[in-house]
Amino acid sequence: MKEKQGEFKSEELRMGAKTLLGRELELARVREELEQKIKELEAAKEREMVLRIREIAKAADIKRKVEELEKKTKELKEARKALLNILEDVDEARRKAEEERNKTLAIIANLTDGLLVFDSDNRVSLINSRAEEILGIKFEEIEGESISDLSRFSSLKPIIQLVEEREKIFREEVKLHENLILEITTSPITREKERIGSLLVLHDITREKRIERMKTEFVSVAAHQLRTPLSAIKWSLGMILAEDMGPLTQEQKAFLQKTYNSNERMINLVNDLLDVARIEEGRYIYKPAFCDLAKICQMVINSHKAIIKRKKIKFEFKKPKGKLPQIKLDEEKISLAIQNLLENAIRYTPPGGKIVVSLKRKKGEIEFSVKDTGIGIPKEQQDRLFTKFFRGTNAVRMETEGTGLGLFIAKNIIESHRGRIWAESEENKGSVFHFSLPLGLTSSSRK
Amino acid sequence: MAKKILIVEDEEILLDLLQKRLKKEGYDVLLARNGEEGLKMIKEERPDLVLLDIIMPKMSGFQVMEEMNKEESLKEIPVIIISNSGQPVEIGRAQQLGAKDWLIKTEFDPKEVLEKVVKQIGK
Repeated sequence: MKEKQGEFKSEELRMGAKTLLGRELELARVREELEQKIKELEAAKEREMVLRIREIAKAADIKRKVEELEKKTKELKEARKALLNILEDVDEARRKAEEERNKTLAIIANLTDGLLVFDSDNRVSLINSRAEEILGIKFEEIEGESISDLSRFSSLKPIIQLVEEREKIFREEVKLHENLILEITTSPITREKERIGSLLVLHDITREKRIERMKTEFVSVAAHQLRTPLSAIKWSLGMILAEDMGPLTQEQKAFLQKTYNSNERMINLVNDLLDVARIEEGRYIYKPAFCDLAKICQMVINSHKAIIKRKKIKFEFKKPKGKLPQIKLDEEKISLAIQNLLENAIRYTPPGGKIVVSLKRKKGEIEFSVKDTGIGIPKEQQDRLFTKFFRGTNAVRMETEGTGLGLFIAKNIIESHRGRIWAESEENKGSVFHFSLPLGLTSSSRK
Repeated sequence: MAKKILIVEDEEILLDLLQKRLKKEGYDVLLARNGEEGLKMIKEERPDLVLLDIIMPKMSGFQVMEEMNKEESLKEIPVIIISNSGQPVEIGRAQQLGAKDWLIKTEFDPKEVLEKVVKQIGK
Protein backbone atom coordinates (compact mmCIF):
# COMPACT_ATOMS: atom_id res chain seq x y z
CA MET A 1 0.00 0.00 0.00
CA LYS A 2 2.78 2.36 0.87
CA GLU A 3 4.41 1.75 -2.44
CA LYS A 4 1.19 2.52 -4.24
CA GLN A 5 0.87 5.74 -2.27
CA GLY A 6 4.45 6.57 -3.11
CA GLU A 7 3.90 5.88 -6.80
CA PHE A 8 0.78 8.02 -6.70
CA LYS A 9 2.58 10.94 -5.11
CA SER A 10 5.43 11.00 -7.57
CA GLU A 11 2.94 10.81 -10.36
CA GLU A 12 1.13 13.76 -8.84
CA LEU A 13 4.38 15.60 -8.45
CA ARG A 14 5.29 14.84 -12.00
CA MET A 15 1.89 16.05 -13.19
CA GLY A 16 2.16 19.13 -10.99
CA ALA A 17 5.62 19.95 -12.33
CA LYS A 18 4.45 19.57 -15.89
CA THR A 19 1.53 21.87 -15.22
CA LEU A 20 3.77 24.41 -13.51
CA LEU A 21 6.16 24.34 -16.42
CA GLY A 22 3.30 24.70 -18.81
CA ARG A 23 1.96 27.58 -16.83
CA GLU A 24 5.39 29.20 -16.71
CA LEU A 25 5.71 28.92 -20.44
CA GLU A 26 2.26 30.40 -20.80
CA LEU A 27 3.13 33.26 -18.49
CA ALA A 28 6.27 33.93 -20.46
CA ARG A 29 4.26 33.87 -23.63
CA VAL A 30 1.66 36.19 -22.17
CA ARG A 31 4.41 38.46 -20.89
CA GLU A 32 5.94 38.54 -24.37
CA GLU A 33 2.54 39.31 -25.84
CA LEU A 34 2.00 42.08 -23.30
CA GLU A 35 5.44 43.54 -23.92
CA GLN A 36 4.73 43.41 -27.60
CA LYS A 37 1.41 45.19 -27.05
CA ILE A 38 3.11 47.82 -24.88
CA LYS A 39 5.64 48.42 -27.61
CA GLU A 40 2.87 48.78 -30.13
CA LEU A 41 0.97 51.15 -27.84
CA GLU A 42 4.06 53.24 -27.26
CA ALA A 43 4.75 53.38 -30.99
CA ALA A 44 1.15 54.42 -31.56
CA LYS A 45 1.45 57.00 -28.80
CA GLU A 46 4.61 58.34 -30.40
CA ARG A 47 2.92 58.52 -33.76
CA GLU A 48 0.09 60.44 -32.19
CA MET A 49 2.54 62.79 -30.53
CA VAL A 50 4.31 63.34 -33.81
CA LEU A 51 1.01 64.18 -35.45
CA ARG A 52 0.13 66.55 -32.62
CA ILE A 53 3.51 68.25 -32.91
CA ARG A 54 2.98 68.78 -36.63
CA GLU A 55 -0.51 70.03 -36.11
CA ILE A 56 0.55 72.53 -33.50
CA ALA A 57 3.36 73.71 -35.75
CA LYS A 58 0.96 74.10 -38.67
CA ALA A 59 -1.50 76.01 -36.55
CA ALA A 60 1.28 78.33 -35.39
CA ASP A 61 2.31 78.85 -39.01
CA ILE A 62 -1.23 79.72 -40.04
CA LYS A 63 -1.50 82.11 -37.12
CA ARG A 64 1.71 83.80 -38.20
CA LYS A 65 0.46 84.14 -41.81
CA VAL A 66 -2.86 85.55 -40.65
CA GLU A 67 -1.04 88.08 -38.52
CA GLU A 68 1.07 89.12 -41.46
CA LEU A 69 -2.01 89.50 -43.64
CA GLU A 70 -3.72 91.61 -41.03
CA LYS A 71 -0.68 93.82 -40.79
CA LYS A 72 -0.56 94.25 -44.54
CA THR A 73 -4.26 94.97 -44.70
CA LYS A 74 -3.85 97.64 -42.06
CA GLU A 75 -0.99 99.20 -44.01
CA LEU A 76 -3.04 99.18 -47.19
CA LYS A 77 -5.94 100.83 -45.43
CA GLU A 78 -3.69 103.57 -44.14
CA ALA A 79 -2.10 104.05 -47.53
CA ARG A 80 -5.55 104.33 -49.04
CA LYS A 81 -6.53 106.91 -46.45
CA ALA A 82 -3.40 108.91 -47.15
CA LEU A 83 -4.04 108.76 -50.88
CA LEU A 84 -7.59 109.96 -50.41
CA ASN A 85 -6.28 112.88 -48.39
CA ILE A 86 -3.80 113.73 -51.09
CA LEU A 87 -6.52 113.50 -53.72
CA GLU A 88 -8.62 115.86 -51.68
CA ASP A 89 -5.73 118.28 -51.38
CA VAL A 90 -5.04 118.04 -55.09
CA ASP A 91 -8.67 118.66 -55.85
CA GLU A 92 -8.67 121.68 -53.56
CA ALA A 93 -5.50 123.02 -55.18
CA ARG A 94 -6.97 122.51 -58.60
CA ARG A 95 -10.10 124.41 -57.71
CA LYS A 96 -8.06 127.25 -56.29
CA ALA A 97 -5.88 127.35 -59.39
CA GLU A 98 -8.96 127.47 -61.58
CA GLU A 99 -10.36 130.28 -59.51
CA GLU A 100 -7.14 132.23 -59.83
CA ARG A 101 -7.04 131.56 -63.51
CA ASN A 102 -10.58 132.77 -64.01
CA LYS A 103 -9.82 135.88 -62.00
CA THR A 104 -6.73 136.57 -64.06
CA LEU A 105 -8.58 136.00 -67.32
CA ALA A 106 -11.28 138.39 -66.23
CA ILE A 107 -8.70 141.05 -65.41
CA ILE A 108 -6.92 140.56 -68.71
CA ALA A 109 -10.14 140.66 -70.67
CA ASN A 110 -11.15 143.95 -69.11
CA LEU A 111 -7.83 145.76 -69.18
CA THR A 112 -7.91 149.06 -70.97
CA ASP A 113 -4.44 148.37 -72.34
CA GLY A 114 -3.79 145.76 -74.98
CA LEU A 115 -2.08 142.57 -73.89
CA LEU A 116 -0.15 140.11 -76.01
CA VAL A 117 1.45 137.02 -74.57
CA PHE A 118 4.02 134.89 -76.33
CA ASP A 119 5.15 131.48 -75.07
CA SER A 120 8.70 130.21 -74.79
CA ASP A 121 8.80 129.41 -78.50
CA ASN A 122 7.68 132.94 -79.31
CA ARG A 123 4.26 131.78 -80.41
CA VAL A 124 1.14 133.82 -79.71
CA SER A 125 -0.59 132.30 -76.71
CA LEU A 126 -2.93 135.06 -75.62
CA ILE A 127 -4.34 138.37 -76.82
CA ASN A 128 -7.01 140.40 -75.06
CA SER A 129 -9.89 142.21 -76.66
CA ARG A 130 -8.30 145.65 -76.36
CA ALA A 131 -5.25 144.39 -78.23
CA GLU A 132 -7.50 142.88 -80.86
CA GLU A 133 -9.12 146.31 -81.19
CA ILE A 134 -5.83 148.16 -81.42
CA LEU A 135 -4.27 145.82 -83.93
CA GLY A 136 -7.40 145.04 -85.85
CA ILE A 137 -6.75 141.32 -85.58
CA LYS A 138 -8.71 138.52 -83.90
CA PHE A 139 -7.05 135.94 -81.65
CA GLU A 140 -8.21 133.05 -83.83
CA GLU A 141 -6.27 134.49 -86.75
CA ILE A 142 -2.94 134.47 -84.98
CA GLU A 143 -3.27 131.92 -82.22
CA GLY A 144 -0.22 129.69 -81.93
CA GLU A 145 1.62 131.38 -84.75
CA SER A 146 5.25 132.19 -84.37
CA ILE A 147 6.55 135.72 -84.67
CA SER A 148 7.90 135.31 -88.17
CA ASP A 149 4.48 134.22 -89.37
CA LEU A 150 2.96 137.39 -87.96
CA SER A 151 4.89 139.64 -90.32
CA ARG A 152 2.16 139.13 -92.90
CA PHE A 153 0.07 141.57 -90.88
CA SER A 154 1.36 145.05 -91.61
CA SER A 155 0.01 146.41 -88.34
CA LEU A 156 2.17 143.96 -86.43
CA LYS A 157 5.46 144.61 -88.19
CA PRO A 158 6.78 147.27 -85.81
CA ILE A 159 5.79 145.15 -82.84
CA ILE A 160 7.53 142.01 -84.04
CA GLN A 161 11.00 143.37 -83.70
CA LEU A 162 10.35 144.20 -80.08
CA VAL A 163 9.64 140.60 -79.19
CA GLU A 164 13.06 139.09 -79.00
CA GLU A 165 15.13 137.36 -76.39
CA ARG A 166 15.06 140.30 -74.05
CA GLU A 167 16.29 139.76 -70.55
CA LYS A 168 15.08 143.11 -69.28
CA ILE A 169 11.92 145.11 -69.51
CA PHE A 170 11.86 147.28 -72.59
CA ARG A 171 9.67 150.19 -73.54
CA GLU A 172 9.34 151.92 -76.88
CA GLU A 173 7.02 154.29 -78.68
CA VAL A 174 5.71 152.90 -81.91
CA LYS A 175 3.63 154.72 -84.45
CA LEU A 176 1.32 152.19 -86.05
CA HIS A 177 -0.34 154.74 -88.26
CA GLU A 178 -1.33 158.43 -88.33
CA ASN A 179 -3.92 158.15 -85.60
CA LEU A 180 -2.40 155.46 -83.46
CA ILE A 181 0.72 155.89 -81.42
CA LEU A 182 1.44 153.15 -78.90
CA GLU A 183 3.76 152.90 -75.99
CA ILE A 184 4.76 149.25 -76.07
CA THR A 185 6.33 147.62 -73.06
CA THR A 186 7.89 144.18 -73.38
CA SER A 187 8.84 142.13 -70.41
CA PRO A 188 9.95 138.52 -70.09
CA ILE A 189 7.78 136.09 -68.17
CA THR A 190 9.88 133.90 -65.93
CA ARG A 191 9.24 130.95 -63.69
CA GLU A 192 12.07 130.06 -61.36
CA LYS A 193 14.64 132.01 -63.34
CA GLU A 194 13.70 130.38 -66.62
CA ARG A 195 12.11 132.43 -69.40
CA ILE A 196 8.79 130.90 -70.37
CA GLY A 197 7.46 133.67 -72.53
CA SER A 198 7.11 137.37 -73.21
CA LEU A 199 4.43 139.87 -72.30
CA LEU A 200 3.61 142.86 -74.45
CA VAL A 201 1.55 145.73 -73.12
CA LEU A 202 0.11 148.11 -75.71
CA HIS A 203 -0.67 151.49 -74.21
CA ASP A 204 -2.42 154.01 -76.40
CA ILE A 205 -0.68 157.39 -76.11
CA THR A 206 -2.10 158.94 -79.25
CA ARG A 207 -3.98 161.54 -77.25
CA GLU A 208 -1.01 162.38 -75.06
CA LYS A 209 1.11 162.83 -78.12
CA ARG A 210 -1.48 165.00 -79.71
CA ILE A 211 -1.66 167.21 -76.66
CA GLU A 212 2.11 167.45 -76.56
CA ARG A 213 2.11 168.48 -80.17
CA MET A 214 -0.55 171.09 -79.57
CA LYS A 215 1.46 172.48 -76.68
CA THR A 216 4.55 172.79 -78.80
CA GLU A 217 2.62 174.34 -81.63
CA PHE A 218 1.15 176.86 -79.24
CA VAL A 219 4.57 177.81 -77.92
CA SER A 220 5.81 178.12 -81.45
CA VAL A 221 2.95 180.32 -82.55
CA ALA A 222 3.08 182.48 -79.41
CA ALA A 223 6.81 182.94 -79.68
CA HIS A 224 6.52 183.89 -83.30
CA GLN A 225 3.83 186.40 -82.51
CA LEU A 226 5.94 187.87 -79.76
CA ARG A 227 8.95 188.28 -81.99
CA THR A 228 7.51 191.04 -84.09
CA PRO A 229 6.63 193.47 -81.30
CA LEU A 230 9.87 192.64 -79.49
CA SER A 231 11.87 193.47 -82.59
CA ALA A 232 9.97 196.72 -82.95
CA ILE A 233 10.77 197.66 -79.34
CA LYS A 234 14.44 196.78 -79.86
CA TRP A 235 14.59 198.91 -82.96
CA SER A 236 12.94 201.91 -81.43
CA LEU A 237 14.96 201.76 -78.23
CA GLY A 238 18.12 201.37 -80.27
CA MET A 239 17.32 204.50 -82.19
CA ILE A 240 16.59 206.53 -79.08
CA LEU A 241 19.75 205.28 -77.37
CA ALA A 242 21.81 206.22 -80.41
CA GLU A 243 20.36 209.70 -79.86
CA ASP A 244 18.75 209.63 -83.26
CA MET A 245 15.64 211.12 -81.67
CA GLY A 246 17.51 213.80 -79.89
CA PRO A 247 20.10 214.03 -77.15
CA LEU A 248 19.67 212.20 -73.89
CA THR A 249 20.78 212.98 -70.40
CA GLN A 250 23.08 210.50 -68.67
CA GLU A 251 20.25 209.55 -66.44
CA GLN A 252 17.88 209.00 -69.35
CA LYS A 253 20.51 207.00 -71.20
CA ALA A 254 21.17 204.73 -68.26
CA PHE A 255 17.43 204.27 -67.72
CA LEU A 256 16.76 203.41 -71.35
CA GLN A 257 19.77 201.10 -71.46
CA LYS A 258 18.19 199.01 -68.73
CA THR A 259 14.97 198.81 -70.75
CA TYR A 260 16.93 197.83 -73.83
CA ASN A 261 18.73 195.06 -71.91
CA SER A 262 15.43 193.76 -70.56
CA ASN A 263 14.07 193.65 -74.07
CA GLU A 264 17.15 191.78 -75.25
CA ARG A 265 16.58 189.19 -72.59
CA MET A 266 12.98 188.78 -73.69
CA ILE A 267 14.12 188.33 -77.28
CA ASN A 268 16.58 185.66 -76.16
CA LEU A 269 13.89 183.87 -74.22
CA VAL A 270 11.57 183.94 -77.21
CA ASN A 271 14.33 182.59 -79.43
CA ASP A 272 15.09 179.85 -76.95
CA LEU A 273 11.41 178.91 -76.77
CA LEU A 274 11.25 178.77 -80.52
CA ASP A 275 14.35 176.58 -80.63
CA VAL A 276 12.87 174.24 -78.09
CA ALA A 277 9.60 174.08 -80.01
CA ARG A 278 11.46 173.33 -83.19
CA ILE A 279 13.53 170.64 -81.52
CA GLU A 280 10.42 168.96 -80.20
CA GLU A 281 8.61 169.11 -83.48
CA GLY A 282 11.65 167.74 -85.21
CA ARG A 283 11.97 170.91 -87.20
CA TYR A 284 15.36 171.83 -85.77
CA ILE A 285 17.28 171.56 -88.99
CA TYR A 286 20.94 170.85 -89.02
CA LYS A 287 23.21 171.89 -91.85
CA PRO A 288 26.35 169.85 -91.44
CA ALA A 289 29.63 170.83 -93.05
CA PHE A 290 33.26 170.15 -92.27
CA CYS A 291 34.49 172.59 -89.66
CA ASP A 292 37.37 173.17 -87.32
CA LEU A 293 36.05 172.96 -83.79
CA ALA A 294 38.96 175.00 -82.43
CA LYS A 295 38.05 177.89 -84.69
CA ILE A 296 34.40 177.81 -83.59
CA CYS A 297 35.47 177.81 -79.93
CA GLN A 298 37.77 180.75 -80.46
CA MET A 299 35.02 182.76 -82.14
CA VAL A 300 32.60 182.20 -79.26
CA ILE A 301 35.31 183.05 -76.74
CA ASN A 302 36.19 186.21 -78.56
CA SER A 303 32.64 187.48 -78.46
CA HIS A 304 32.61 187.07 -74.69
CA LYS A 305 36.05 188.55 -73.95
CA ALA A 306 34.58 191.88 -72.88
CA ILE A 307 32.24 190.56 -70.25
CA ILE A 308 34.86 188.17 -68.86
CA LYS A 309 37.18 191.15 -68.41
CA ARG A 310 34.41 193.21 -66.86
CA LYS A 311 33.63 190.53 -64.30
CA LYS A 312 37.34 190.27 -63.50
CA ILE A 313 37.38 186.52 -64.18
CA LYS A 314 40.64 184.82 -65.06
CA PHE A 315 40.32 182.95 -68.35
CA GLU A 316 42.35 180.31 -70.14
CA PHE A 317 41.81 178.47 -73.42
CA LYS A 318 43.71 175.19 -73.57
CA LYS A 319 44.09 174.25 -77.16
CA PRO A 320 45.60 170.99 -78.29
CA LYS A 321 48.99 171.02 -79.92
CA GLY A 322 48.67 170.67 -83.65
CA LYS A 323 45.59 170.82 -85.77
CA LEU A 324 42.40 168.97 -84.92
CA PRO A 325 40.78 166.91 -87.66
CA GLN A 326 37.73 168.57 -89.14
CA ILE A 327 34.36 167.16 -88.20
CA LYS A 328 31.08 167.33 -90.06
CA LEU A 329 28.87 169.57 -87.93
CA ASP A 330 26.35 172.36 -88.03
CA GLU A 331 28.52 175.38 -87.21
CA GLU A 332 25.68 177.63 -86.11
CA LYS A 333 24.18 175.09 -83.71
CA ILE A 334 27.48 173.94 -82.21
CA SER A 335 28.39 177.57 -81.70
CA LEU A 336 25.14 178.02 -79.83
CA ALA A 337 25.84 175.00 -77.62
CA ILE A 338 29.32 176.25 -76.77
CA GLN A 339 27.90 179.69 -76.17
CA ASN A 340 25.28 178.36 -73.74
CA LEU A 341 27.93 176.48 -71.75
CA LEU A 342 30.33 179.39 -71.66
CA GLU A 343 27.65 181.89 -70.74
CA ASN A 344 26.54 179.70 -67.85
CA ALA A 345 30.11 179.57 -66.61
CA ILE A 346 30.45 183.32 -66.80
CA ARG A 347 27.04 183.99 -65.25
CA TYR A 348 27.44 181.72 -62.28
CA THR A 349 31.09 182.42 -61.43
CA PRO A 350 31.54 185.28 -58.99
CA PRO A 351 34.10 188.00 -59.75
CA GLY A 352 37.69 186.91 -59.22
CA GLY A 353 36.94 183.37 -60.24
CA LYS A 354 38.53 181.31 -63.01
CA ILE A 355 37.23 179.72 -66.18
CA VAL A 356 39.19 177.25 -68.29
CA VAL A 357 38.02 176.11 -71.69
CA SER A 358 39.85 173.08 -73.11
CA LEU A 359 39.73 171.06 -76.28
CA LYS A 360 41.24 167.60 -76.24
CA ARG A 361 41.82 165.03 -78.93
CA LYS A 362 40.70 161.66 -77.62
CA LYS A 363 40.37 158.19 -79.15
CA GLY A 364 37.75 158.48 -81.86
CA GLU A 365 36.42 161.78 -80.54
CA ILE A 366 37.11 165.38 -79.61
CA GLU A 367 36.28 166.50 -76.10
CA PHE A 368 35.33 170.07 -75.16
CA SER A 369 35.12 171.21 -71.56
CA VAL A 370 34.40 174.39 -69.62
CA LYS A 371 35.65 174.46 -66.06
CA ASP A 372 34.59 177.19 -63.65
CA THR A 373 34.98 178.11 -59.99
CA GLY A 374 31.36 179.09 -59.69
CA ILE A 375 28.42 178.26 -57.46
CA GLY A 376 28.13 174.68 -58.70
CA ILE A 377 24.97 172.56 -58.72
CA PRO A 378 23.50 170.94 -55.60
CA LYS A 379 24.07 167.19 -55.66
CA GLU A 380 20.42 166.20 -55.36
CA GLN A 381 19.51 168.32 -58.41
CA GLN A 382 22.29 167.13 -60.69
CA ASP A 383 20.26 164.48 -62.44
CA ARG A 384 17.82 167.13 -63.73
CA LEU A 385 20.51 169.36 -65.15
CA PHE A 386 19.70 168.95 -68.81
CA THR A 387 15.93 168.97 -68.52
CA LYS A 388 13.63 171.66 -69.88
CA PHE A 389 13.33 174.80 -67.68
CA PHE A 390 15.56 173.41 -64.95
CA ARG A 391 17.45 175.95 -62.91
CA GLY A 392 19.38 175.08 -59.77
CA THR A 393 17.97 176.60 -56.59
CA ASN A 394 21.28 178.30 -55.96
CA ALA A 395 21.32 179.66 -59.52
CA VAL A 396 17.86 181.14 -59.10
CA ARG A 397 18.98 182.78 -55.88
CA MET A 398 21.99 184.30 -57.58
CA GLU A 399 20.20 185.54 -60.63
CA THR A 400 16.47 185.49 -61.00
CA GLU A 401 16.59 185.65 -64.77
CA GLY A 402 17.54 182.72 -66.88
CA THR A 403 15.30 180.50 -68.95
CA GLY A 404 16.48 177.07 -67.85
CA LEU A 405 16.50 176.13 -71.54
CA GLY A 406 20.16 176.63 -72.41
CA LEU A 407 21.35 173.20 -71.30
CA PHE A 408 18.31 171.46 -72.76
CA ILE A 409 19.03 172.98 -76.15
CA ALA A 410 22.77 172.29 -75.90
CA LYS A 411 22.06 168.64 -75.06
CA ASN A 412 19.81 168.27 -78.05
CA ILE A 413 22.36 169.80 -80.36
CA ILE A 414 25.22 167.64 -79.09
CA GLU A 415 23.19 164.44 -79.15
CA SER A 416 21.95 165.17 -82.66
CA HIS A 417 25.62 165.12 -83.65
CA ARG A 418 25.86 161.67 -81.99
CA GLY A 419 27.90 163.16 -79.18
CA ARG A 420 27.65 163.01 -75.42
CA ILE A 421 27.23 165.81 -72.92
CA TRP A 422 27.77 165.56 -69.18
CA ALA A 423 28.80 167.55 -66.14
CA GLU A 424 30.58 167.24 -62.82
CA SER A 425 29.91 169.74 -60.12
CA GLU A 426 30.31 170.51 -56.43
CA GLU A 427 28.24 173.19 -54.77
CA ASN A 428 30.24 176.37 -54.02
CA LYS A 429 33.38 174.86 -55.54
CA GLY A 430 32.63 174.89 -59.23
CA SER A 431 31.53 172.82 -62.21
CA VAL A 432 32.96 171.23 -65.29
CA PHE A 433 30.72 170.78 -68.31
CA HIS A 434 31.93 168.41 -71.03
CA PHE A 435 30.75 167.35 -74.42
CA SER A 436 32.35 165.03 -76.90
CA LEU A 437 31.82 164.73 -80.63
CA PRO A 438 32.73 161.56 -82.48
CA LEU A 439 35.23 161.84 -85.27
CA GLY A 440 33.10 159.57 -87.40
CA LEU A 441 33.23 161.03 -90.87
CA THR A 442 36.28 163.22 -90.88
CA SER A 443 37.55 164.74 -94.05
CA SER A 444 40.55 162.43 -93.96
CA SER A 445 38.50 159.26 -93.71
CA ARG A 446 36.20 160.33 -96.46
CA LYS A 447 38.47 158.77 -98.99
CA MET B 1 31.07 57.76 -22.43
CA ALA B 2 27.62 58.62 -23.75
CA LYS B 3 27.26 61.73 -25.88
CA LYS B 4 25.43 64.64 -24.22
CA ILE B 5 22.59 66.31 -26.08
CA LEU B 6 20.92 69.46 -24.81
CA ILE B 7 17.36 70.09 -26.01
CA VAL B 8 16.19 73.72 -25.74
CA GLU B 9 12.46 73.79 -26.47
CA ASP B 10 9.44 75.42 -24.85
CA GLU B 11 6.80 72.98 -26.21
CA GLU B 12 6.34 70.16 -23.69
CA ILE B 13 5.12 67.49 -26.14
CA LEU B 14 8.11 67.90 -28.38
CA LEU B 15 10.50 68.01 -25.48
CA ASP B 16 8.97 64.81 -24.12
CA LEU B 17 9.15 62.90 -27.37
CA LEU B 18 12.67 63.95 -28.24
CA GLN B 19 13.90 63.12 -24.78
CA LYS B 20 12.34 59.61 -24.86
CA ARG B 21 13.69 58.80 -28.31
CA LEU B 22 17.18 60.08 -27.76
CA LYS B 23 17.50 58.39 -24.38
CA LYS B 24 16.44 55.13 -26.03
CA GLU B 25 19.27 55.49 -28.50
CA GLY B 26 21.70 55.80 -25.64
CA TYR B 27 22.37 59.51 -25.47
CA ASP B 28 22.49 61.59 -22.33
CA VAL B 29 19.73 64.16 -22.60
CA LEU B 30 19.55 67.52 -20.87
CA LEU B 31 16.51 69.80 -21.01
CA ALA B 32 15.96 73.56 -21.05
CA ARG B 33 12.62 75.22 -21.56
CA ASN B 34 13.70 78.71 -22.72
CA GLY B 35 16.65 80.48 -24.29
CA GLU B 36 18.02 81.91 -21.05
CA GLU B 37 17.99 78.57 -19.31
CA GLY B 38 19.43 76.96 -22.45
CA LEU B 39 22.37 79.33 -22.64
CA LYS B 40 23.16 78.80 -18.98
CA MET B 41 23.19 75.04 -19.42
CA ILE B 42 25.34 75.27 -22.56
CA LYS B 43 27.95 77.19 -20.61
CA GLU B 44 27.81 74.91 -17.59
CA GLU B 45 27.37 71.47 -19.17
CA ARG B 46 29.18 71.87 -22.52
CA PRO B 47 26.95 69.43 -24.40
CA ASP B 48 28.19 67.63 -27.53
CA LEU B 49 25.13 68.83 -29.48
CA VAL B 50 22.32 71.32 -29.02
CA LEU B 51 18.83 70.95 -30.46
CA LEU B 52 17.67 74.57 -30.44
CA ASP B 53 14.13 75.87 -30.90
CA ILE B 54 13.97 79.34 -32.47
CA ILE B 55 10.78 80.94 -31.18
CA MET B 56 11.01 80.86 -27.36
CA PRO B 57 10.20 83.21 -24.49
CA LYS B 58 12.93 85.16 -22.65
CA MET B 59 15.60 84.63 -25.33
CA SER B 60 15.16 83.39 -28.89
CA GLY B 61 17.21 80.67 -30.54
CA PHE B 62 18.96 83.31 -32.66
CA GLN B 63 19.97 85.26 -29.60
CA VAL B 64 21.33 82.07 -28.01
CA MET B 65 23.46 81.43 -31.10
CA GLU B 66 24.71 85.01 -31.10
CA GLU B 67 25.82 84.60 -27.49
CA MET B 68 27.47 81.28 -28.33
CA ASN B 69 29.43 82.86 -31.16
CA LYS B 70 31.00 85.27 -28.73
CA GLU B 71 33.10 82.52 -27.06
CA GLU B 72 35.48 80.27 -28.97
CA SER B 73 34.71 77.18 -26.95
CA LEU B 74 30.96 77.61 -27.30
CA LYS B 75 31.24 78.37 -30.98
CA GLU B 76 32.47 74.85 -31.61
CA ILE B 77 29.39 73.12 -30.20
CA PRO B 78 27.22 71.96 -33.16
CA VAL B 79 23.66 73.29 -33.23
CA ILE B 80 20.61 71.83 -34.99
CA ILE B 81 17.83 74.40 -35.00
CA ILE B 82 14.15 73.58 -34.76
CA SER B 83 12.12 75.88 -37.04
CA ASN B 84 8.35 76.08 -36.97
CA SER B 85 7.61 76.18 -40.70
CA GLY B 86 11.03 76.23 -42.29
CA GLN B 87 10.80 79.72 -43.77
CA PRO B 88 13.84 80.43 -45.95
CA VAL B 89 14.51 83.66 -44.07
CA GLU B 90 14.68 81.79 -40.80
CA ILE B 91 16.84 78.95 -42.15
CA GLY B 92 19.13 81.42 -43.86
CA ARG B 93 19.70 83.43 -40.73
CA ALA B 94 20.36 80.27 -38.70
CA GLN B 95 22.97 79.11 -41.19
CA GLN B 96 24.56 82.55 -41.06
CA LEU B 97 24.81 82.19 -37.31
CA GLY B 98 26.54 78.85 -37.71
CA ALA B 99 23.77 76.21 -37.34
CA LYS B 100 24.84 72.87 -38.80
CA ASP B 101 21.41 71.54 -39.70
CA TRP B 102 17.71 72.12 -39.15
CA LEU B 103 14.43 70.38 -38.29
CA ILE B 104 11.00 71.58 -39.39
CA LYS B 105 8.11 71.12 -36.94
CA THR B 106 5.33 71.05 -39.53
CA GLU B 107 7.05 67.99 -41.06
CA PHE B 108 8.36 66.52 -37.85
CA ASP B 109 9.71 62.97 -38.18
CA PRO B 110 11.56 61.23 -35.34
CA LYS B 111 13.54 59.15 -37.83
CA GLU B 112 14.86 62.33 -39.45
CA VAL B 113 15.85 63.67 -36.07
CA LEU B 114 17.97 60.61 -35.37
CA GLU B 115 19.60 60.72 -38.79
CA LYS B 116 20.64 64.33 -38.37
CA VAL B 117 21.87 63.81 -34.79
CA VAL B 118 24.00 60.83 -35.84
CA LYS B 119 25.35 62.88 -38.73
CA GLN B 120 26.64 65.50 -36.32
CA ILE B 121 27.95 63.46 -33.40
CA GLY B 122 27.67 59.77 -34.25
CA LYS B 123 25.89 57.24 -32.05
